[in-house]
Amino acid sequence: MTEPAHKVEDVKPLPPSLPLTEEGLAHYEQTFGQHYRRWNEILERNAERLRRGQYSLHWLRTDGSDWGARRAKPSSRGLTYADVNRLPASGALPDQATWLNFAPRGSIREPYAADMPTIDDYVVLRKGEVWAENVVSLYEEAKARQWNATRDIPWAELEPLPEDLEKATCQLCTFLTEVEFVAGDFPAKWLYRTPQDFLEVKSFLATQIMDEARHQEVFRKRALAGGGLLHASPGFEWALKAILEAPTHTMGTFLLNLLGEGLVLSIFRSGEMIAKTHVDKEIFRRCLQDEARHVSYGVLELKSYLDTHPDRAAALEEMHRFADVGEQVILTAFTEAALVEPVAVLLGGGLDKIDHGMEGMAKLWSMFIDEYLQRCERAGFPRRERCRIPTTAVWGA
Amino acid sequence: MTAAAGATARAEAAVAFPSAAWFQRLADAMNATRARQEQLGYVDCVAAFTVLDGAPDGGALVVQVTFEEFEAVAVRVAGAADAARADFTLEAPLAVWREMIENVAAHGGRPDLTHTLNHLSHFGTPIHLAGDDPVRRDAYFRFNQSLQEFVNASAGFRTAFPDQAAQA
Repeated sequence: MTEPAHKVEDVKPLPPSLPLTEEGLAHYEQTFGQHYRRWNEILERNAERLRRGQYSLHWLRTDGSDWGARRAKPSSRGLTYADVNRLPASGALPDQATWLNFAPRGSIREPYAADMPTIDDYVVLRKGEVWAENVVSLYEEAKARQWNATRDIPWAELEPLPEDLEKATCQLCTFLTEVEFVAGDFPAKWLYRTPQDFLEVKSFLATQIMDEARHQEVFRKRALAGGGLLHASPGFEWALKAILEAPTHTMGTFLLNLLGEGLVLSIFRSGEMIAKTHVDKEIFRRCLQDEARHVSYGVLELKSYLDTHPDRAAALEEMHRFADVGEQVILTAFTEAALVEPVAVLLGGGLDKIDHGMEGMAKLWSMFIDEYLQRCERAGFPRRERCRIPTTAVWGA
Repeated sequence: MTAAAGATARAEAAVAFPSAAWFQRLADAMNATRARQEQLGYVDCVAAFTVLDGAPDGGALVVQVTFEEFEAVAVRVAGAADAARADFTLEAPLAVWREMIENVAAHGGRPDLTHTLNHLSHFGTPIHLAGDDPVRRDAYFRFNQSLQEFVNASAGFRTAFPDQAAQA
């Protein structure tokens, strides 16, 4: 028998597997077996009709739909969301989502409203909290520019590097493997909280998740095809946690897409520049394209949020409060030795030239931060006077 | 590029750089490789290439290339009034462009590690990436692989630079 815990920190969680499964299953049985009965009424109604041998054929009625009025016409690219959204009933996005279920926008759904369930997890209800004016074109671009980390990288050309450069490359790849999946987990978290009426945004977020899966894959493969994975880092982890636990979609998108991915885009550009093999160059060039799409969404999503907010001044102040903290936590990752030093070694051209590389890093730092502040300004979020990230590198040029 | 293609390229008349005709050759090459462009994906942007000392009077020559979907649909010399059409501009002196083009040709259409567009522009020098709107400027990154392959196609024909044009 174990000793009783004397402090809160010493209390151990209960074994999770069986009791939680049992509890969850019992809750499900109670909820759908006893509490929710509407589905059962529908089932009985359907069964009765089938027993009578009758057809409903209600789905042939077209009142209240786009049916027959106009057909969606493809453009030169095929049939895009922009093309189908020209139809009035299905194309019009609500400013406020009220259909909190899976009924498609533009379908005949009003007659069935009373019978439909509500998905309680749909909490992003205002269009301005997720929309960006470029999201439809970015979605088409994302689909068209997908690539394959298995096939499209000339892996057979990978050449052995001197040990210091290989270790620096593999450490950089370890960092990128560690950070890439938060950029998949974060949109996944909000994808399922966004109602179906904002389907264009959900579709774009799905491409971002795929992009990040591929980035995680390609950097993991690069490290393992070279020397191997090297060090994880606590500074990265806290930055990732700060992104994942952002209180709203817009705040997290600002921290992930605009700031975090903006900085990672700069790292990818640096990675392409300092690559010591054509394999690495191709990897970084492919990845930076994907990352730039995510940054573009982040900038214009924040703009949409601020432009449509009923109290812009209050929204700005909330965003500033969030950024005051978020910038500093992100800074934790971007000052970690496990990131800065390998990049400096690659920039300098070897471990013995790390000081020279740090001079280059200092130049890049100022450039990165200026680009971040420009993007904030483009979104209508003037951050220059309040930015918590030093505009020049702390180690100097 | 194959040896036969290289021989054909050498046999053809050289195209002067900088000129709209030179960029039109790149556009033609891109438009002739539809299958490859479909692999790379849509390119939707207006890119301006500025040769800072490329005009006959020694001033800047700007050529704008309009990309749509899988093609380069327009190439034109741009004046000051056209500047706003470009999503971004890549600016460099003739000597820098020349070194890059010669490097691409010398390596059969894939430049060495220090002569890619991103490598040359990342620090803001020797190629400077310009653009007032960061979202439009980021198109340079969103389509970087396609833009790199666009300039790589210059290995498919001979380029004549100003001093060589005088000799020819």
